[in-house]
Amino acid sequence: MTQFSSRFLMGAALAAIAVSAAGCTGTVEGTGMTPPGGSGGSGNPGMTGMGTGSTGPTDMPPGGDQPAAHLHRLTSSQFANSLRDLFGAGVPIGALDPDQPTGGFVSVGSSSIVSSSSGIGLYEAAAEAATAWLLADPARASAALACVPQMATDTTCASQAFSTLGRRAYRRPLASDETNRLVMLATAVATGQGGTMTLGMQAALSAILQSPNFLYRVELGAPSPADGGRLKYDSYEMASRLASTLWNTVPDNALLDAAGKNGGLATADSVIAQAKRMLADPRAHQGLAAFVDDLYALHNLQDAEPDPMTFPALTPTLRAAMQTELEMRIDDMVFGARGDFLSLFDSKTTFVNNELATHYGLPTAASDGFRKVEIPGDSPRAGILGSGAILAGLAMPQRTAPTRRGKFIREAVLCQTVPPPPSNVVPVLPPPTDPSETMRQRLSQHRVNPSCASCHSLIDPLGFGLENFDGVGKYRSLENGKPVDATGDLDGAQFDGLAQMGAVLRHAAITGPCFVSKLYMNAQNRLAGARDAAILDKLAADFAASGNKADQLITNLVSAEPFRFVEPTKP
Amino acid sequence: MARSSRTVIPRRTVLRGLIGGGIAVTVPLPRLCGMLNDSGTAYAAGGPLPVRFGNWFFGNGIIPSRWVPSRTGVGSAWELSEQLSPLQPVKEYISVVTGLVIKGPDISPHQAMPVQALTGAQTAGGGVVQLPTIDQAVGAITNQTTLYPKGLHVGLTKVNGGIAMGLNVSFSGASAPNPPEQSPARMFQSLLKYASTSTGMPKPADPSLLRRRMVLDTIAEESKALRARLGMEDQRRLDQHLSGLHQLQGQLIAAGMPRMTGTLVDPDKAYPTRGADGDITRKRGQAFSDLLVFALSADLTRVFSYAFTGPACHGNYTDCGLAAATFHEDYGHRTSPKGVQAATEGFNTGVKFTMSCLADTLTRMKNTPDGAGNLLDNSVLYTTSCCSESQTHGGTDFPVLVSGKAGGKLKGDTHVRLVGDSVSKVPYTLLTAMGGKATSFGLGDSMVTGGVPDLLA
Repeated sequence: MTQFSSRFLMGAALAAIAVSAAGCTGTVEGTGMTPPGGSGGSGNPGMTGMGTGSTGPTDMPPGGDQPAAHLHRLTSSQFANSLRDLFGAGVPIGALDPDQPTGGFVSVGSSSIVSSSSGIGLYEAAAEAATAWLLADPARASAALACVPQMATDTTCASQAFSTLGRRAYRRPLASDETNRLVMLATAVATGQGGTMTLGMQAALSAILQSPNFLYRVELGAPSPADGGRLKYDSYEMASRLASTLWNTVPDNALLDAAGKNGGLATADSVIAQAKRMLADPRAHQGLAAFVDDLYALHNLQDAEPDPMTFPALTPTLRAAMQTELEMRIDDMVFGARGDFLSLFDSKTTFVNNELATHYGLPTAASDGFRKVEIPGDSPRAGILGSGAILAGLAMPQRTAPTRRGKFIREAVLCQTVPPPPSNVVPVLPPPTDPSETMRQRLSQHRVNPSCASCHSLIDPLGFGLENFDGVGKYRSLENGKPVDATGDLDGAQFDGLAQMGAVLRHAAITGPCFVSKLYMNAQNRLAGARDAAILDKLAADFAASGNKADQLITNLVSAEPFRFVEPTKP
Repeated sequence: MARSSRTVIPRRTVLRGLIGGGIAVTVPLPRLCGMLNDSGTAYAAGGPLPVRFGNWFFGNGIIPSRWVPSRTGVGSAWELSEQLSPLQPVKEYISVVTGLVIKGPDISPHQAMPVQALTGAQTAGGGVVQLPTIDQAVGAITNQTTLYPKGLHVGLTKVNGGIAMGLNVSFSGASAPNPPEQSPARMFQSLLKYASTSTGMPKPADPSLLRRRMVLDTIAEESKALRARLGMEDQRRLDQHLSGLHQLQGQLIAAGMPRMTGTLVDPDKAYPTRGADGDITRKRGQAFSDLLVFALSADLTRVFSYAFTGPACHGNYTDCGLAAATFHEDYGHRTSPKGVQAATEGFNTGVKFTMSCLADTLTRMKNTPDGAGNLLDNSVLYTTSCCSESQTHGGTDFPVLVSGKAGGKLKGDTHVRLVGDSVSKVPYTLLTAMGGKATSFGLGDSMVTGGVPDLLA
């Protein structure tokens, strides 16, 4: 028996905070803005009256287990990374239809999104532009292609080019009829009126980039006799899953070679060997960053519109620096320091350039550029929740947003779903009656009205812990001339300010299992359900036993049976 | 069959006018005029003229007391309200239905309300759209034979309201949005292949079109093996993708054929100061309106959506003189540092600005001949928003406008007040007028079985 019961984990990963949504009758702050895939207004009555806080809720999400999808559309970043890997850095990346976040993750939404008709046109335009770029420069073409045919009759060379590139693009070897079809296309265009072999090559390469075999990861599985006939991902599908999860792009040749060898990636050990190699590869950084960007909802940072009369400008370079800081901070913990992942919640180690250092009140450096720095020990800024990327992303134009920030922590860090306010509530914070009021004072009605307090006593106190940071993440000790009160509590654990709150979150029993479940959903391209309880239990226990080493967790996850089998449990 | 005298209009004849910054531009005449009967009301080969349909959506609601006209009735019996006053030049085409409400227990602002107003159904868990939006429901009846069966979709802003719909106001179903194009220049380039040449001479053959078509053929052929391996749900998704490829193929074929269209307005020439993609400016709206009118007039599609702003949009309305602050918060919720009164007036300015942009779209349609009348005679635009009263996210007196005459099926110039009725009644009325046979519309509490007869001619 592991130290976490599956029942506990299911609550951690899936269920709702114990609130009586029907009881909230006052006003709450905010605008109804929820992270994509959040509660979004379903008003599900099943969310009420369950458990108590972070150790109790046990209900399943509405609808139960989500069936495994077999067709995963490349996300925008996967499309871009894949194009760069296939054609080279500098390849133009055309506009695409937007991704669809589900449960906060575009990787999950990729399993249900339907491509629009206009999106097909965008794929075509992107493929045309990328192939034209590649073939405009012989050096580029020869770097990307195994062979560059000069004449239409050079079909052997063309075949070699398409089968080699196509293997990576389709994440499996091309069938001979697929390669032949591409050669025929190239030849037909080359020998047609006004045709050239370059145009023929462009046509065939464009066909590869527009093929559903490239644009969707096709992971169907096949019955495995060695496993009692269970549906299991074949070795090339495993290569596809590993490359997507660990690198956010297509496989490299080494991975495909491993998949093609006798035995391929059929065993956990073979997967572990590749996973370790891949995590040591530079592409692992972009894989982790894609997960981090969704996990911490960094779209909020891009969408933030701080009022210029209230806050200093959130310039494009400052926004970019904030995002880079958070990504580097987590990347360093996972791949550099290889330390306790949960220490990120109260760590004082971060990365800044001069613009961000100035924003944070840290010393600038003679030579600009991102560098590892220690935030002074007595500074209230601590942990990743003190990152500008999170603080500026979770604010209203003219003020901080404790409710929004607290809701974010409940959902992203503690895996609890905060139901929307009941339908008889106007979820708009009225303008202040007294301009000297603090946000805590303005939100006091949340605590006065019992039906509001049932929700907000769980949300607002976490947001209050961030009140030392304004709507763009700058430190402040005063609000409207009054000292900031940054005290709060997490289910009874008291704190004063972010440094203490970070420590409380770091040591909360749910924080580690929550992170595990988020990583799991992102890797599986689906929401977690009851069938995942046992594996989440085990992964979380092993994570804790490892001292919360995220790289070990990732390796454990991708080698675990639910990642390798379409049917996650034995019959 | 003998053709009317209109058929002698040279194909290059265009309506010239001054649009946007005084630059002379041209608006296309319908390509099909040579194919009409003597009265110009139908195709010579039979069948009525197509009726076009669009969602024209704006975010953040209204101020009901300044939106609802003071009197009801038809024609001179009613006057436009303050916020609707920019629509005066096209009042004869406008119908306002007021008093409508969002039904059902889930009134989560900015998500459930616009989804109900656009689909007749509340959202499923997580804000998921359950049914097609009204443009797609209509398009399933009217638009399956055009080059763009899913329609053309445009949007001014890139600022997301942070809700599950994102920037989309058209959905073909769950997880099937029709995302708006945000670049008039890109849309112009896409439509350019259909435009008649300025000289009237046939366009030189574009060899790339054939090559691109051959690429699509290859992909379609290759996809057969994949499709055969998929389960039903994945097949459905792949089929949508392949359908898109098929439509693109049709567009490339059509691009190589001579067409009778007028001049396509180049937004870079007509509106060089329109602002960047994503900016909420009137000139960007005019650029998109020109492009849509071209496409509708040339019958490239009969369905469109126009997201002036998306639900809960936090973008700014500096183009009408407001501060560079979020329209949603500073003005909609009156949180401007300038105070509530200034914010209220600013919000009012923003709504009137929005209606001016709608008037721009409608005026262009009205000025574009179509058969015996104009494009607005043969169109319907359904305009709604993501809430009613902006300050409190109210769901009563929900903003609903209908523009156009639907080929004579709609009366126009009408104010109907139906206090407490479901907002779903209006899209149901329009769906029925466009040929829909369903006996009900929507789902759950939002479902209706009757429409608004007063809208009909």
